[in-house]
Amino acid sequence: MSKKIIKCEINNQEVEVPEGTSIIEAFKELDQSIAHYCWHPGLSVAGVCRLCMVDIEGIPKLQIACNTEVKEGMKISNQSEKVKEAVKWGLEFHLINHPLDCPICDQAGECELQEQYMNFGQYSPNMAERKVKKRKVVDLGSKIVLDTERCILCSRCVRFTDEVSKTHELGIFNRGDRSEIGIFKDKPLENEYAVNTVDICPVGALTSKDFRFRQRVWYLKTADSICTGCSTGCNIKIDYNEEGLFRVQPRYNKEVNGYWMCDKGREVYRLPNKEGRLLEAKAPSSYSFKREDSLRPSRAGGNPVSSVEVLKKIRELFVKKEKAPQSALVLTAQYTVEEYEDLVSFFIKHLGTQQDIYYWRNNPESFDDFDGVLLRGDKNPNTKGLLEVLTNQGAIHSWESLQNRLKQKEIEVLWVAGPENQKVYPDLKEKIDTFESYCDNIIWWTAHPLSDSQKIWQIPTKTFFEKEGTLINHTGRAQKVKAVHQLVSSALSLSESATVLKGEELKKQEPPFLVTPMKTNHFTYKKKVL
Amino acid sequence: MSRVQRKSRSGVWYLPPIFKGLFFTFKKMLANLSKKNKMLTLNYPEEHYSYGPRFKGNHILTVKKDGSLRCTACMLCATNCPANCIKIIASEHESPEVEKYPIAYEIDILRCVFCGFCEEACPVDAIRMGPEWQAAGLNGDDFIYDIKYLSKRDSLKGGVLSHVDDKERHKAGM
Amino acid sequence: MEKKLLSEHYHKKEYHTLAGYKSFGGYKDLESAFSKRPEEIVQMVKDSGLRGRGGAGFPTGVKWGFLPDNSEPRYLLCNADEGEPGTFKDRLIMEKAPHQLIEGMLISAWGIQSHKSYIYIRGEYQNCIHVMEEAIKEAYSAGYLGKNICGSDFQHDMDIYIGAGAYICGEETGMISSLEGKKGQPKLKPPFPAVKGYLEKPTIVNNVETLAAVVPIIRDGVEAFRSIGTEKSPGTKFFSVSGCVKKPGNYEVPLGYPLMDLIELAGGLREGRKLKAVIPGGTSAPVLTAEECEKADMDFESLSDLGSMLGSGAVIVMDDSCSMVDMLSVIENFYHHESCGQCTPCREGTGWLSKVINNILKGQGRIQDLNLIQGISENMMGRTICALSDAAALPAISFVTKFREEFETHIRETLAQRKSGALSA
Repeated sequence: MSKKIIKCEINNQEVEVPEGTSIIEAFKELDQSIAHYCWHPGLSVAGVCRLCMVDIEGIPKLQIACNTEVKEGMKISNQSEKVKEAVKWGLEFHLINHPLDCPICDQAGECELQEQYMNFGQYSPNMAERKVKKRKVVDLGSKIVLDTERCILCSRCVRFTDEVSKTHELGIFNRGDRSEIGIFKDKPLENEYAVNTVDICPVGALTSKDFRFRQRVWYLKTADSICTGCSTGCNIKIDYNEEGLFRVQPRYNKEVNGYWMCDKGREVYRLPNKEGRLLEAKAPSSYSFKREDSLRPSRAGGNPVSSVEVLKKIRELFVKKEKAPQSALVLTAQYTVEEYEDLVSFFIKHLGTQQDIYYWRNNPESFDDFDGVLLRGDKNPNTKGLLEVLTNQGAIHSWESLQNRLKQKEIEVLWVAGPENQKVYPDLKEKIDTFESYCDNIIWWTAHPLSDSQKIWQIPTKTFFEKEGTLINHTGRAQKVKAVHQLVSSALSLSESATVLKGEELKKQEPPFLVTPMKTNHFTYKKKVL
Repeated sequence: MSRVQRKSRSGVWYLPPIFKGLFFTFKKMLANLSKKNKMLTLNYPEEHYSYGPRFKGNHILTVKKDGSLRCTACMLCATNCPANCIKIIASEHESPEVEKYPIAYEIDILRCVFCGFCEEACPVDAIRMGPEWQAAGLNGDDFIYDIKYLSKRDSLKGGVLSHVDDKERHKAGM
Repeated sequence: MEKKLLSEHYHKKEYHTLAGYKSFGGYKDLESAFSKRPEEIVQMVKDSGLRGRGGAGFPTGVKWGFLPDNSEPRYLLCNADEGEPGTFKDRLIMEKAPHQLIEGMLISAWGIQSHKSYIYIRGEYQNCIHVMEEAIKEAYSAGYLGKNICGSDFQHDMDIYIGAGAYICGEETGMISSLEGKKGQPKLKPPFPAVKGYLEKPTIVNNVETLAAVVPIIRDGVEAFRSIGTEKSPGTKFFSVSGCVKKPGNYEVPLGYPLMDLIELAGGLREGRKLKAVIPGGTSAPVLTAEECEKADMDFESLSDLGSMLGSGAVIVMDDSCSMVDMLSVIENFYHHESCGQCTPCREGTGWLSKVINNILKGQGRIQDLNLIQGISENMMGRTICALSDAAALPAISFVTKFREEFETHIRETLAQRKSGALSA
């Protein structure tokens, strides 16, 4: 039964909303700004901050927008002097016991109190009395730190643990201005969605131990992307700068993840960062390659080996032969659909047949696990995409047949598109040992280095942050990741590798490099380089 | 301000102004020869010019009463710096009263333009621009000042005390 | 002597037992109420104009009319959490005539067709709780509670729920939250408790005196009830007179009784003292100066015309030995202690007010603090979930406006003392 549509006027702008919408939701429809702290579209209404005051024609007292339903013909305004005065005093009440913590608080720059202060505040505070002192730096578990003095008791975190994660770990203790957020005895805040409370906290009361003090938010840019932690494919936004990625936060998507994401997915920010990455292509020790001559001095000291050169050598050794060696291709479901299409079509054309392509699954028994909220058992972002490409080409073979062929030493060259997220592949070491013992030439595409080996050629790949492509989640929904910033200059995506192996020239890469503001003076060190 | 010189009548003949100028120069020279202490020349390095208290020279990181660094790594100075020469890495302090402190604070003095924006931006009087300006070095490394140099170099005699004391502030209930 | 509707027999020793109550005509009105239809009871209460005796003064019959039709189950909650400072009338009713309350609740339950009721008694009233428990046991064994009351097929169960020292649980939605086992914090209104209250079901919350007053309405009829009191505020009310009077206590008088007469009834002021101020309706009501008291009649309209309110009927009399600064600081400290902490203006505002006034009392006040108090209070009012914020703000505004000279004198004197070194800073 569809709801009746009601017309109302907000700040002299007409809007039509379904029946039952609250005024603040109508404000959001029109993208008009209204000050609020305790309301969140993904949580129930609390009405405790008293900042979302609006002036409704015909009602002498100011009403709160989050709990008042829109009625036909309502004329609503939050620009009158009465409302501004009310919001100014509401903000003043929030600030009278708030500590002067902006220099050490992580939320500086994205703090709701700072936002509303710049909109409404008065610069000389009226409060000349002593502030209420409460506990600071309270450990709430392994992921979150609480500062009860900064808390404005909007109760968003308490409502989150009650309604979304349903674990009821947080509560408000004491009453009056001695109230504090806290955990119960022997029950720390340890659920799978705990770090969402840090996102929804409007002030710096809840901070994530992972991100704490690492960077100021105004030094970070934001980019939209898709989480590659599991097959749910939550929409995320990543905060990064040219030093690397710092933090992941969820983006709203009604069909996929709502307003939230799980904590495991927040770890994906570490995957593209330079600290763990394979910085240059590695060849077995009998080959040596010239280092790339480039004008950009690299911080690590020395320029990386060109992956294109290494791939050209591989092409010489294993592809361009008259009699192609017996090859097999092993794929993990962690790359984009376009990469699979390019690589598989290259393989079938030049190196083998559909029979030689294998799909490496890491934990098939728990693929269909679902915890009821967002976490799924399939830890690969693109299983459906890979299966689609393989079925199109007509190639899915059981792992046993690969094992058998390996044991009988039928395979001479093994091409592996290894997992980007190595942590969810617990059998990685075991598989490497198996492959090495039965095959002499292994070419492995990987974003993070494998243990040193005599026989493996390692090619650095671009992570989801550096390439453009499509990922298909568990419902079959195709979502795109975009190339934002390339952190490892010698990384190549599978499509680009396939192009080089085919013998074609790689198009000049124009990755969106961020310009590095020079913080060290190179003139004094390298007199030769300008 | 540019002053427009009127064309003087004697200037037409070209030589008289030259003699006027030379006369002025020799007058000053003779004056200096006779009264040495009234000369404006400063015999550096034996004599130094003393600058005012607000002179913007090499930076000083102030310390608290117990000797630890006053800086709370808020990064306002680094943000405000127009030359991008300050680099800070923050870290968690064990004591919840201090909470945040810098483990690395570097100023690349060759990039610094000595504008004083960092001093103005700091909310806790942690960085000041001191009176020193003579800081020659032989190596490129000498020009990246770290915490030890900025707060505890010999010329500071143990550390400059900051005017903003957190303990007093907390006691007053702020 | 004025006619007493409720407390005619309170001085009789056995009135609190079932036998004693019945011997003075108790429980007859219950039987006569069962002979009427429930709608008639509600209409009678509406016509009688009975107004809530707990503080807000909302017409009881109208409140009962808000219940949605054909909704089951319905709950009746009796608010015996007498938290308003200065009020001690419900204690009298519960200790002296528990059966009167039970009868009133039963009649009301029959009127609103509720089968379950709770009496929420504040935890400090240990004696009341004991007496009420005994009375309920007696009522159950005599067949006045439980199944088939008085031979009809009406069933009703009554329970006592004990509070734990929170004034905020006297607010109706705070009480409902506390009954549900949650933190006693008020809920947002709308939805109102009559529509969605206890366990999300229609609930009526009434004060002890209101429910007890239903008995004389049924007993004497609507006209007789309306003949006492004023046009808009009919009936009698208990006034808990305390303060600087010779005989403090509960006095049941018709509404509209002049305030000065009420003070005389309570024994009058002490020898040689002059009246300075009276708080007519519990500390939440704005204070009345001595001149205003001359004109005041104890009913809802007259007091609200004077800028105050009848509230719960706790009359606190202050003579010229009382310091207004001290009085205000006691009031504000109370509200600071009792604020639940949910919404920001009340939570921070009560704390701020309490600190400012304590500072003035200690001798560290400034003249601009008085304007600050007015600013804070005006901006706390009307902006919160429940009325505790208004209750904290109204006395502050009224004290500071009506007794401003006294506050200013206090500030100046203490400033002079500090400067001369007599007071430590």
